Amino acid sequence: MIELKNLTKIYPSKAGETVALENIDLVIPDGSVFGVIGLSGAGKSTLVRCLNLLEKPTRGQVLIDGEDITAVSKKRLGELRRSIGMIFQNFNLLEQRTAAANVRFPLELSKVPREEAKKRVEELLSLVGLSEKADSYPSQLSGGQKQRVAIARALATNPKYLLCDEATSALDPTTTESILQLLKKINRELGVTIVVITHEMRVVESICTDVAVLDQSRVAEAGKVEEVFSFPQSEIAKQLIIPGLIRSLKGSEANKLRLVFHGETSDTPVISGLAMECGVPANILYADTRRIDGKTFGHMVIELPQDERQITAAKQYLRAHSVVFKEEI
Amino acid sequence: MNALLVSRLFGQLVETNAFPLAVWETIYLTFASAAVAYLIGLPLGVLLAVTDRGGLKPILWLNKIVGIVVNIFRSIPFIILMVALIPVSRAILGTSIGNGAMIFMLVVAAAPYVARMVESSLKEVDAGVVEAAKSMGASTFQIIRKVYLPEAKPSLLVGAVISTVTILGYSAMAGTIAAGGLGALAVTQARPSNAQDVIWLCVLLIVIIVQIIQELGMYLATRTDKRVRVKGRKKKAKAE
Repeated sequence: MIELKNLTKIYPSKAGETVALENIDLVIPDGSVFGVIGLSGAGKSTLVRCLNLLEKPTRGQVLIDGEDITAVSKKRLGELRRSIGMIFQNFNLLEQRTAAANVRFPLELSKVPREEAKKRVEELLSLVGLSEKADSYPSQLSGGQKQRVAIARALATNPKYLLCDEATSALDPTTTESILQLLKKINRELGVTIVVITHEMRVVESICTDVAVLDQSRVAEAGKVEEVFSFPQSEIAKQLIIPGLIRSLKGSEANKLRLVFHGETSDTPVISGLAMECGVPANILYADTRRIDGKTFGHMVIELPQDERQITAAKQYLRAHSVVFKEEI
Repeated sequence: MNALLVSRLFGQLVETNAFPLAVWETIYLTFASAAVAYLIGLPLGVLLAVTDRGGLKPILWLNKIVGIVVNIFRSIPFIILMVALIPVSRAILGTSIGNGAMIFMLVVAAAPYVARMVESSLKEVDAGVVEAAKSMGASTFQIIRKVYLPEAKPSLLVGAVISTVTILGYSAMAGTIAAGGLGALAVTQARPSNAQDVIWLCVLLIVIIVQIIQELGMYLATRTDKRVRVKGRKKKAKAE
């Protein structure tokens, strides 16, 4: 478990001080895929770098399994870093080494015997599906392949945690999806706790179990992904999660409803149900839903006729079918 | 006819096998000096890159001091540095003339130059790769040995070619302190007897040596650089 307590990072700058992180309190449970999302400049990258002390926090604690890493010796920090893998937006592979030699790199650092290292490298490359590219140099690999090598390299020392700093931001949608599936597999099969820093909603939607929304150096809200995504509380989370909604439907009126699909709604076709069973015609103003693992997630905004009776009937129908809706959009 | 085209000195030099000897001496002075200059300049360059602001281990006062010393030596014209080093050479080597003294002086002049070349090569290494190594728990020394130097290798080789050619240029002043080589031959023997043909042959030979160093060095630098996509390789990578 990783715990951040009162974490603050201030950069000294010519114009005084720049606050990158302010009083961050977070708990990253073991086994989770923890997303940290926010706009650029919100402090995401600084946050993830505090987790392995690539950035030294100005104040506060970073507890890895109860051990405050801001207070450990240099030697111990080296050991701790080996239990925390990290991958990057730009892959950061050693350009003069082959894929296999890149994966071997952390093993060399911790002086693993050559034969053992060789075996481990083969295992890892096969895990990420790149066995046949072992002798290729990074310049000969595609972006997705490079990130796979980076993932294999980060896993070489059997880390308990894997930090991903915008790991898919430089990749196209298809490649992003395949890398996300690989991360999911690593989380499930190897039990590695993954921290994902991203500005892409679909990354969080696709693999995260928990999420923290960062805004202007602070945690705006945090919780289970279904919770935060279905019922965002903070302005920034609403903006990030349902942007189209807020823009197009400002000045909400009583005859507009936001339906929330958070994976528990039944498969009943509610809109046609409204029309056919209650005789209430609904106008779809906005809809963004998708099915993940057979469950529906997302939002829909409908407009009902300006008629109290019909609105009440519609709400009753929705409640009866356990559809969650919000009136304030 | 013969006397018109070829100077007497030229004939004498050919008879005494002076040209091959001068070529050998030039090569020997250049490479021996370059080797020792790298022995000193490489660690200095690493130190400059690592201790700089934003470097792996910023130690600003040390960086400043080494930087100033390096700059002082680099700003003294070689011919003046030579004269200034005559007593130093005498004190250290027991002599201030000959090839040994010349190598000493070339090293003093070239090591700071090499240090700057090495520093700039190391600074080209992607900061992200260094950060990745840090995230894996690499020590400062491990990062220097396993990241900086191997990743900068092609650039270091290019720097070595430029440094070597510069040293070869300096070595032409060897005549001043009775050391050998093509420069000395042209300046101390050919010039006084106005043997233009000897001078031009020296020039030609130096040009050839420089070309060989340049081509060979660049070939090595390109060949070892794994970032360079060889045409065949690129096609193969695409096809897969």
